[in-house]
Amino acid sequence: MELKYEAVCGSGERSDALVRVRPAEALAIRISSKTGPMYEERIREVAEEVLQGLGITRAEVEICEQGAYDHVIRARLLGALFRAGDGGEAFRRPAPIAVERRGSPRGRLRRSRLYVPGNNARALAFVDTFGSDCVVLDLEDSVPPAEKDAARFLVREVLSTLDFGDKEVWVRINPLLRGGREDLGMVLLGRPHGICLPKAESPVEVAELAGLLYELEGRYGIPWMVWIMPIIESPRGAFAAPEIAKASERVVCLAFGAEDYSAEVGCDRSWEALLWARSQVVAAAATAGIQASDAVFPDIEDEDGLYREARRAKELGFDGKGAIHPLQIEMIHRALAPTPEEVEWAKGVVSAAEEAEEKGMGAVAYRGKMVDRPVLLRAKRVLELARAARMEVEDAA
Amino acid sequence: MPRNAVGREIPEEVAGKPLRPFQGAFATVPEGRKAAPPLKTIRPGEEKVLPSLEEAIRRVELADGMTISFHHCFRDGDLLVLRVVEACARLGIKDLRLFPTALFPCHEPLNRYIEEGIITRIEGSMNGPVGAFVSGGGKLAEPAVLRSHGGRWRAVECGEVHIDVAFIAAPTADPYGNANGMWGPNACGPISFSVVDSWYADKVIVVTDNLVPYPAIPATIEQGYVDFVVTVDQVGDPAGIATGTLRITRSPTQLRIAKLAAEAVVAAGLVREGMGFQAGAGGISLAATDFVAKEMARRGVKAAFVMGGVTRFLIGMLREGLVNTILDGQAFDVGAVEALREHPRHAIITPGFYADYNSRGCATYMLDFAFLGGTEVDYNFNVNVNTHSDGQLLHGIGGHQDVASGAKVTIITIPTIRGRIPTIREEVTTVTTPGEVVDLVVTERGIAVNPRRPDLKEDLERAGLPVRSLEEMKIEAERLVGKAKRPMFGDEIVALIQWRDGTVIDVVRKVAGWQ
Repeated sequence: MELKYEAVCGSGERSDALVRVRPAEALAIRISSKTGPMYEERIREVAEEVLQGLGITRAEVEICEQGAYDHVIRARLLGALFRAGDGGEAFRRPAPIAVERRGSPRGRLRRSRLYVPGNNARALAFVDTFGSDCVVLDLEDSVPPAEKDAARFLVREVLSTLDFGDKEVWVRINPLLRGGREDLGMVLLGRPHGICLPKAESPVEVAELAGLLYELEGRYGIPWMVWIMPIIESPRGAFAAPEIAKASERVVCLAFGAEDYSAEVGCDRSWEALLWARSQVVAAAATAGIQASDAVFPDIEDEDGLYREARRAKELGFDGKGAIHPLQIEMIHRALAPTPEEVEWAKGVVSAAEEAEEKGMGAVAYRGKMVDRPVLLRAKRVLELARAARMEVEDAA
Repeated sequence: MPRNAVGREIPEEVAGKPLRPFQGAFATVPEGRKAAPPLKTIRPGEEKVLPSLEEAIRRVELADGMTISFHHCFRDGDLLVLRVVEACARLGIKDLRLFPTALFPCHEPLNRYIEEGIITRIEGSMNGPVGAFVSGGGKLAEPAVLRSHGGRWRAVECGEVHIDVAFIAAPTADPYGNANGMWGPNACGPISFSVVDSWYADKVIVVTDNLVPYPAIPATIEQGYVDFVVTVDQVGDPAGIATGTLRITRSPTQLRIAKLAAEAVVAAGLVREGMGFQAGAGGISLAATDFVAKEMARRGVKAAFVMGGVTRFLIGMLREGLVNTILDGQAFDVGAVEALREHPRHAIITPGFYADYNSRGCATYMLDFAFLGGTEVDYNFNVNVNTHSDGQLLHGIGGHQDVASGAKVTIITIPTIRGRIPTIREEVTTVTTPGEVVDLVVTERGIAVNPRRPDLKEDLERAGLPVRSLEEMKIEAERLVGKAKRPMFGDEIVALIQWRDGTVIDVVRKVAGWQ
């Protein structure tokens, strides 16, 4: 591949690299590293690997980095080279799989989903250590239009390099007609567990996304079904929520987005003003047998406000809530933890059901109420939540 | 070469002076008596005030090869060290041994005087450019010597370091030499680091820009020890006191570390009525202290005392009644300086009071817990605060050793990665504080418990905190950062790191190459 233009990618922020490439007669790589001689050689190796992989032999490459990891250097160099030529399939070759990742159960806990800006190397540097149930690498609102291409490379590299442990890792793509397809083609190479679809307004879009995922899973050899989380953030989306929730078996959770919704409706971002939309999302999700996740709370400083909103979301029937800062995670988990009374009830239901099963009894009652399947499932989920919240549930399975 | 108790090779002697290898945190039994300054007298009516530093330097007969001492209470706003060294250079005095409590980036111009042979030896902390310069090797006639706050006090007291002339920057002084740092246009807080210098130096010069009528009280520095008083236009710049990041961090990673550290303290049952603790001034320590303060308020308990570089955060705790007493050895921001004047339970203490190994009591021994930092930590829980992983000597010891050896639970808060440099090592580049006095290492990936503390491990596990091994956390971090080159060290020793008892816990060697 030949370079056509001079191009730049990245930034001078901490943990990032600023990479400049330009056409040249031969290959020259210049490195200026914040850590001095400690990583210079390694950075050169990484750069050479990338250039070789693309068959580039004539280019001038300048890498000025501020403690960037290998995968950031790789992403920034790829970004610059992508911009210096005319892109192409060469950039969409699967990266070697550097990290084990397994599929994620459909019904797993999703109490918190933490959004991390997809083009911010500094914010992504420790993304594997935050305690949320789900991490959402964002290509949409947090990434300015001119940086979408760079962010795709960075998100892909983060996905293929970092071990997220037992966290479920998602990517919020752009709407399908506004870059979402390009996002998918790149980030699916990193094998995320799921895709958040913003501004979902019709089941057709969801079905279309499901089709694309099916195709890319096959092409990239992803051994699990990639889940979909449509985000309902407009009145049109709220009206269509019941159909959206059932549009594909891949949909495991409906999320609510309060900012765009209230902006479009012209209402306050108050609990009362958004109650109908929230209820609609929760009811649609329940009807489809999937989870519902509440909107992010925008004020990082207001811990009490976050707790109150998360607590109300739980009362309304939400299974989780979005977070825009790692500091919000613990508060969300605390708000979503079951009350001691709920745990007591759940233990009773589960042991009554177990007893009934042992005795071969079909129906069973607890505290005078029939325990049918939904009640039992609900009780089991309460115990799961209690365990996640480190509450004492020693005697229950 | 013999190895000391933390496995470091320590030469038997350096520059003709025998070195005692570190044998254990409390292994040394001191012998002998304290050093003694010369006897002097004064007659009624004798004047001490001199018009200039040059005049004072002449009058104390400062000569080639002598030792001059300073405190660092203005931190990066110090003006006196450079002024005195410049004056000495003008007067043709050379081959000086500089004995400051600490140097800061503002002292970078000293490097020129080192090149010129005006200064040939340094014993004291070197934060930043002077340390980097000395790390290059071949600059000083003898290796630099680094001591903790308590270690420096001890070294003067036992005669290990003899001070010829002590220069004491005093924000307020009277013509008879009584001086303090609490008052005046350039108040800097306690100047109690210099108390031992005033007691043991042959000659003592108080330098002030705020000469007040007799008597200046409180007399942190007392008239009976002071030979001369010199007035200057400005003695130091208090704006330089708050160096670094004296604010609660907003970094999610640092906050997570702080939170975990505070939770560990709670889990260990240390948040209780009458507790005493050390609050560091780094971003993580401040945040951890803030979390602890919230828990104290929630439980309605009050700390008996708190010490540390004193910041407005501690002042806030005092005013809110969360703390009974602040023991203040050093102000870390201007708010702390102002508060010193207002609150009767905000007390100035000397390093002798809080940290002297050769004493019958240290305030640090009364600490229940302490938050401390570091540049590296290793599998044996040894902590490096002096050098970076590239071998550069960039930080002093401060009170690190003194606090760690005293606190019942010493907590090192450290991110596993700093600007791509992994901080958990199989062996630290330089041992400042031995693992035997370190109990917990808290990172964003979990809490490592020193195997010497199974009790703490149990407490933390019971509370559901993420107890992990340093090895595990190191492997995780190194997966992210990749393989780095390491410095190779040559034979030349650029600095000695003393343990607080005067033994040598490590030496810093010049970097000879990379591998």
